[in-house]
Amino acid sequence: MKRTEKKPWGMIFLFIGPVTLFYVAFIIYPLIQTVLNGFLEIYPGITGLRIQFVGLKNFKLLLEDEIFHKAVINTLIWATVGPALEMLVATFLALIVYFKVPWSSFYRVAWFSPMLVTGVIVGLIFKWVFNADWGLVNTLLRTIGLGALAINWLGNLHTPLWVVIVVHFWNTFGYSFVILLAGLSAVPEEVKESASLDGATRWTLCTKILLPIIFPVFSTTLMLSFLGKMRAFHVVWVLTEGGPMHASETVATYIQKRAFQWGTLDLGYPSAIAVVWFIVVIVGVHFIQQWVRKKVEQYA
Amino acid sequence: MKRFVVGLMALLLVAHGLLFAGGGAEKKAVGKQEPVKILWWSHWANEPAKRQVIEAIKADYMKSHPNVEIELVWWDKNPLQDAWRVAMTAKKGAPDLVTDPAEKVVEQLKAGWFLELGDKFPWQNFYPEVRSIGNKFEGVKGEYLFHISMPLQMILYNRDIFKEIGVTVPPDYQFTAEEFLEIVKKANAKGYAGLANAIGNRPFPATYLVEYLLLSKVGPEEFELYRTGKKSWNTPEAREVLEFSAQLRDAGIWPPSFASMGIDEFHVYFHTQRKAAMLLIPTWYTGRAFKPVKEGGQDPNFRFGMLRYPKMKNGKGHEYILAGFESGYMIGSLTKHPEVARDILAFASQPKYGALWTAITNSPSAIKYTEKDLPPDMDKTWSWYHEEMNKVYGPVKKFIWNQWGLSGAWTDAVKSVLNEGIPLKLITVDEAIKKLDAAIGK
Repeated sequence: MKRTEKKPWGMIFLFIGPVTLFYVAFIIYPLIQTVLNGFLEIYPGITGLRIQFVGLKNFKLLLEDEIFHKAVINTLIWATVGPALEMLVATFLALIVYFKVPWSSFYRVAWFSPMLVTGVIVGLIFKWVFNADWGLVNTLLRTIGLGALAINWLGNLHTPLWVVIVVHFWNTFGYSFVILLAGLSAVPEEVKESASLDGATRWTLCTKILLPIIFPVFSTTLMLSFLGKMRAFHVVWVLTEGGPMHASETVATYIQKRAFQWGTLDLGYPSAIAVVWFIVVIVGVHFIQQWVRKKVEQYA
Repeated sequence: MKRFVVGLMALLLVAHGLLFAGGGAEKKAVGKQEPVKILWWSHWANEPAKRQVIEAIKADYMKSHPNVEIELVWWDKNPLQDAWRVAMTAKKGAPDLVTDPAEKVVEQLKAGWFLELGDKFPWQNFYPEVRSIGNKFEGVKGEYLFHISMPLQMILYNRDIFKEIGVTVPPDYQFTAEEFLEIVKKANAKGYAGLANAIGNRPFPATYLVEYLLLSKVGPEEFELYRTGKKSWNTPEAREVLEFSAQLRDAGIWPPSFASMGIDEFHVYFHTQRKAAMLLIPTWYTGRAFKPVKEGGQDPNFRFGMLRYPKMKNGKGHEYILAGFESGYMIGSLTKHPEVARDILAFASQPKYGALWTAITNSPSAIKYTEKDLPPDMDKTWSWYHEEMNKVYGPVKKFIWNQWGLSGAWTDAVKSVLNEGIPLKLITVDEAIKKLDAAIGK
């Protein structure tokens, strides 16, 4: 007779219970509550929350909300340009370090170090760097005779978003760089040696061998970069607060304003924004996954 | 193994119970004078003069009420408002007394987050506007706000720069609009900005210009309608004011770092770097400026002058300046000691504290006082400032308008258009009027 093995439920619960509880309490519950809030108008009162079901009213208001539309466009621009720039630069730099150019040990540290600075500090520093009067950028431009290019980077309708994109890129590219470098480092040396013996150039080695091998790492990094841009907040909030005139408004900053700054205690409308954006992010991730799947099939 | 796991979990449950049980129960006080603990959250963490006054009130109250212990916690404004909101939503950890939430006060009043001060509160100690304007909110009955400060909105000017650019202030301290424009042009020609105001970290410094001009043009009643979003801005008068503000912008009224300088920086830009001819600022200027130079304050010998608002052509409000209320205090509705909290604010309403407020902060008080209430050892360092203020603004009419309770959409439109759009030349006057009207559904 086969002896049935008893599962050690106690131990299982002991180890995964706290994490599960944490996950439910701080991820699942807020997510469900936010979705529900999107269908409500909510006012905290002294005896408790005053709640009124308003159906799709909050979602319909989004269709007419020009600031929300602006925020969506800005965020989508950022989520398209940002990851593309980041992956391009991070891949190039990872390859440089992988091929052990002179001073590669220094570059490994130097290119990762911006990641160690918190977004708030980065925003503050670059607010000074882009100061129209005495900031580093404009001072340098004036010094080299390009004073005509010394514009008000954070004070017009066209450049603030791009400043935010560049600053955030500076802060976060190190993360993608180090992950891609780790992926490259995991490629067996024999692969590189074989390619070399077969007469492959460095370009061929990179484009035909190394990058296809690390494509799963690349795609994961791309996904993380995309997700990061879709919900980035600290840098843009400190740099511009979404201004001027919503020129650098993102969905995250707009949610912040509607939830905590527009003088309303109603969390329903900002929750509706969050729900819609959650769906947009899911759709975006789905499209990236589709693209990744096609590429994997291509390389297989 | 099973017994061990069960035993461990039982131990954890017991420990949890011991740690968190009985947290809400308060011991019943014994005896006639119950010991009372009051938690008071105040902003002005980085304004030592205002802190000094409030700390003095706290110390005096505790001395005369030995059973009351006041814990006074100092905050910066935005973190305080966030913490207050969290505490009230969670119904836990909320203070007994708190700085009012400024533009969010009306909806928080409607949410029942504060207690009334009541008819027995010593309102006679205050200027009548404290009750008639500072405590009147649409849709809200009763009075809730204790005001200690009633700032005036001034124009300060650098006497040396005016001399350098050849400007003489008229006897009535008031230039016409055209003369004001000429001052800006002359200042710019010599490398100075017309104003030091900048919008790096505040949504309002540039709005003062339009407000001053608008009051001058249309008078107080119409001003309030425009400014509170109750009137369309598509009128000849409003258009004239916006177009003139655009003219001033083109003449160089704003500093080069207008978009990035913060409020502390533009104070220094005016009083220490002295790169601007004028500054539009309420009397809470003193909180940042009248402190030691090494802490960011100004040189006491920098004796700026004051001006009345420019006279707009055919204006109805030339004899007015704007006044208002700085943050005050309110009683949180979750307090377990409402009478004590109310008593503390009543205690703080004494004329001697109004006098102390003015003596130490150099800012007008909302509490009436006489000369005899002023502290005998009053610092005379800034007496020139009070003399100038009395001389220039003493005779003029003060218009106080209630700027709280405005909708988020309107406040955002004002910030976008008047604080950013027009000053930064991001929109035309036509677009500005469209945006303002769109925010109020016109």
